[in-house]
Amino acid sequence: MMKNIKSMYIHIPFCSSICSYCDFCKQFYNEKLVDKYLLALEKEIYSRYHGEVLSTIYIGGGTPSCLNLNQLSKLFSILESLTLDNNYEFTIEVNINDIQKEKLELFKKVGINRISIGVETINEKFSSFLNRTINYQSILNKINLVKKYFNNISMDLMYAFFYEEYEDLDKDLHFIKMIDIPHISIYSLIIEEHTKLYIDKVESIAEEKEAKMYYKIVNYLKKIGYKHYEISNFSKDGYVSKHNMTYWNNEEYYGFGLGASGYVNGIRYTNTKNINCYLKGEYIYLEEKQNKWISMENEMILGLRKIKGVNKKSFFEKYGYNIEQIFDIMNLLDKRLLIDNGKYLYIPEDKLYISNSILVNFIGGSNGKR
Amino acid sequence: MDKNHIRNFSIIAHIDHGKSTLADRILEITNAVSKREAKAQLLDSMDIERERGITIKLNTASLKYTYNNEEYTLNLIDTPGHVDFSYEVSRSLASCEGAILVVDASQGIEAQTLANLYLALENNLTIIPVINKIDLPNADVAKVKQELINLIGFQEEDIILTSAKTGEGIKELVDRIVEVIPPPKGEENLPLQGLIFDSIFDSYRGVIISVRIVNGVLKVKDTIKMMQTGAVYEVVDLMINTPKEVKKTSLKAGEVGFVAASIKSISDVKVGDTITLFKNPCMAPLPGYKPMKSMVFCGLFPIESSKFEELREALSKLQLNDASLLFEPETSTALGFGFRCGFLGLLHMDIIKERVTREFGIELITTAPSVVYEAYLNNKEMIIVDSPSKMPDKTLLKEVKEPYIKTNIFTPSEYIGPIMELCQNKRGSYISMEYIDPTRVNIHYELPLSEIVYDFFDKLKSYTKGYASFDYELIGYKTSDLVKMDILLNGEIVDALSIIVHKDFAYQRGRAIVENLKKNIPRQLFEVPIQASIGNHVIARETVKALRKDVLAKCYGGDITRKRKLLEKQKEGKKRMKQVGSIELPQEAFMSVLSMDTDE
Repeated sequence: MMKNIKSMYIHIPFCSSICSYCDFCKQFYNEKLVDKYLLALEKEIYSRYHGEVLSTIYIGGGTPSCLNLNQLSKLFSILESLTLDNNYEFTIEVNINDIQKEKLELFKKVGINRISIGVETINEKFSSFLNRTINYQSILNKINLVKKYFNNISMDLMYAFFYEEYEDLDKDLHFIKMIDIPHISIYSLIIEEHTKLYIDKVESIAEEKEAKMYYKIVNYLKKIGYKHYEISNFSKDGYVSKHNMTYWNNEEYYGFGLGASGYVNGIRYTNTKNINCYLKGEYIYLEEKQNKWISMENEMILGLRKIKGVNKKSFFEKYGYNIEQIFDIMNLLDKRLLIDNGKYLYIPEDKLYISNSILVNFIGGSNGKR
Repeated sequence: MDKNHIRNFSIIAHIDHGKSTLADRILEITNAVSKREAKAQLLDSMDIERERGITIKLNTASLKYTYNNEEYTLNLIDTPGHVDFSYEVSRSLASCEGAILVVDASQGIEAQTLANLYLALENNLTIIPVINKIDLPNADVAKVKQELINLIGFQEEDIILTSAKTGEGIKELVDRIVEVIPPPKGEENLPLQGLIFDSIFDSYRGVIISVRIVNGVLKVKDTIKMMQTGAVYEVVDLMINTPKEVKKTSLKAGEVGFVAASIKSISDVKVGDTITLFKNPCMAPLPGYKPMKSMVFCGLFPIESSKFEELREALSKLQLNDASLLFEPETSTALGFGFRCGFLGLLHMDIIKERVTREFGIELITTAPSVVYEAYLNNKEMIIVDSPSKMPDKTLLKEVKEPYIKTNIFTPSEYIGPIMELCQNKRGSYISMEYIDPTRVNIHYELPLSEIVYDFFDKLKSYTKGYASFDYELIGYKTSDLVKMDILLNGEIVDALSIIVHKDFAYQRGRAIVENLKKNIPRQLFEVPIQASIGNHVIARETVKALRKDVLAKCYGGDITRKRKLLEKQKEGKKRMKQVGSIELPQEAFMSVLSMDTDE
């Protein structure tokens, strides 16, 4: 049955080395395992995808770029039968180490039009801490190589490393200005359980400092021409990540691959993280039916991540209620934790970094009933 | 059964020295229960008792035992082991002629053992010393024997060695009960005197009284009178517990059993009171009755204000079974409507708090426990101050008295220094110290009760790596230079955080409290100044900085469910906090006012 789904996420959980901060679904690259994985992935996609016209595809990881050329070709041949609309956005995440002419040419050939590069920092003093091996010059060379093939490029910037000083951050920001690519994602180092950093008992930097760094980045990027469109995303005009907007707009999307999550037919699901189960075709680990209340809550907690906020009229059209009828927002408006500009409800910029304390007001309880 | 074939006894022991397991073995050897039925620790039936390894409500078992071809009835009367319940223990012991003193073969005599032993000796009980857990690899029987001999004066040949785990020594012990514990005295022909030593509330039969008949005979359908409360009832049922319930037509002098008389109100039945016959009363009540006295008070407030009535109902239900629980409505400007509750001690308080939360599902904020002060006014009036808010204005006050205790602290001698330092910091005055053996001492201090209500025991444990044990007795009220200290958040006095402190320690306490509040109050959206003040003088201040970071990271692969879970968890945490003005306070904040020093 055809559904109104316009986005697809595909997870490639393999990495040639494991970054110390990563708690995402990943494992070491193993050639034979990857071959088997791709076969299972193909089965999963075509057991659930029914020919919907897609606007966005996003291949993430893990490190999709660590696959060898044959495996990448196999992956793209699987995706060949997907139907795409004319303005489609097709992103692949690339590790800076894996950037090479042959792979970029292949990406170009199969229709990929957006590259997301995990750079994190150009400060070499942090790369061993992150368990990454790269130096400034090769970062520069590799990005310049990508620029020869693609113009829609995104770069990840990480901040709030232990011992990071404002001068370190400045170096990264100057690099961004110099390299001039249209999209930047930023995120602070979070020491998650089950990561090497957690096991090594690395400490986070002080809250005040981290918040200052965040606002320093925001102000800098805005000054050099980026638009701040979501808590942690910035773009030049016309380069907003369409795929990520699917998430923030609370729209449905397919998620395929080990540990991937998706939202299809009113159900949010998460796939198994156990590779053996996955290879056997036991894909789904968890399913949660989204009733109307939960959907409305999600509409707010996701939508308020956008700088523009939640469109009041769209909310009414989607659910048949005004936001004020469902949520008690007077108090938040009074305290200026939420702003109503007539069309949109949004979190003012200076409160973005404490947005959780605002978002919890939109959670009605674990069962979503109110 | 004639009196000469009855033995009434208790088991006294320090917590975890194996009292309940030993009771189980005695039940087994008297065939009261089969091994299969003997689910671990039969006599402890409440969940919390099992979890905490302590016996809260009393239980009595009547057991048959054949010795030299003659059948005996052994009445095993269980006692709680904690100092909070020492009055209840003393009444249970008063129902017995003998007691088994259990000491762990690896731990030796502890403070609590001794406290209960003294209670037993006050009641003229015959003591059978037992060294238990002799199967443990680290058992040191010789050393513990020496302690029993030196400290208490037992004869070596009187000490019985047991392992409640393997059953070793149990038969010898039960034989010894028959041999050395005297049969009960008392006359069936005298007017009825029954000692109430416990009661429980049964929803079908009303209050059920545990009674020891001292003189006379009690029969079904007798009209009885409680001598202290004056309550009159007709006996519906008489029972014994074998440990299955068996109905009896009468209970005679020397016997122990249960009385049901359709008693609706537990306040009619006071532990230590004497039951007599309405028509043929005894001349005088049995000695030793004391009215129940609450030692510690605290405020219980529902986190959700709408649950006030539910809380009242919960406390009423608990009170049905526990006459020592007191409560009356209390209003706090900060916390709204709640109850000021009185408890026998801290353990009792913890148990009630836990039961309200666990059995009735009401999330609580409890204010810091406070002892009962006596405030003497210039006009000679005396006011009982069980809450800091009741402390009269300084200008009206002549003096304030507070309750004092005397300690028994048993400790290896290497910890004498740290313990003395601890007691000194708690306003203690040294009395004396005795060597139990060359390596262990019993330290006596006089301390204000208010100084031990919170962390004294934890501190003691950490100062002594858990090797010290502690017990106390109340010794009365003494005058102290006490003042009320208020805590201000955001410039407003939060009444639920006020405490009474000694003037000389006020500055230090004030510092400690604001520092601990700073740690325990989560960052809010705005800065929160914390101040401690006496009268109008601010003596310490701190600030909780405004929240700067509370944000979900970038979303990988659209895993929204996980992000939502994080927010749900945050929301749950918020639910456990109490909104005080514009500030959200967790339970820990209310306990911060008990902090004594700044090194925590």
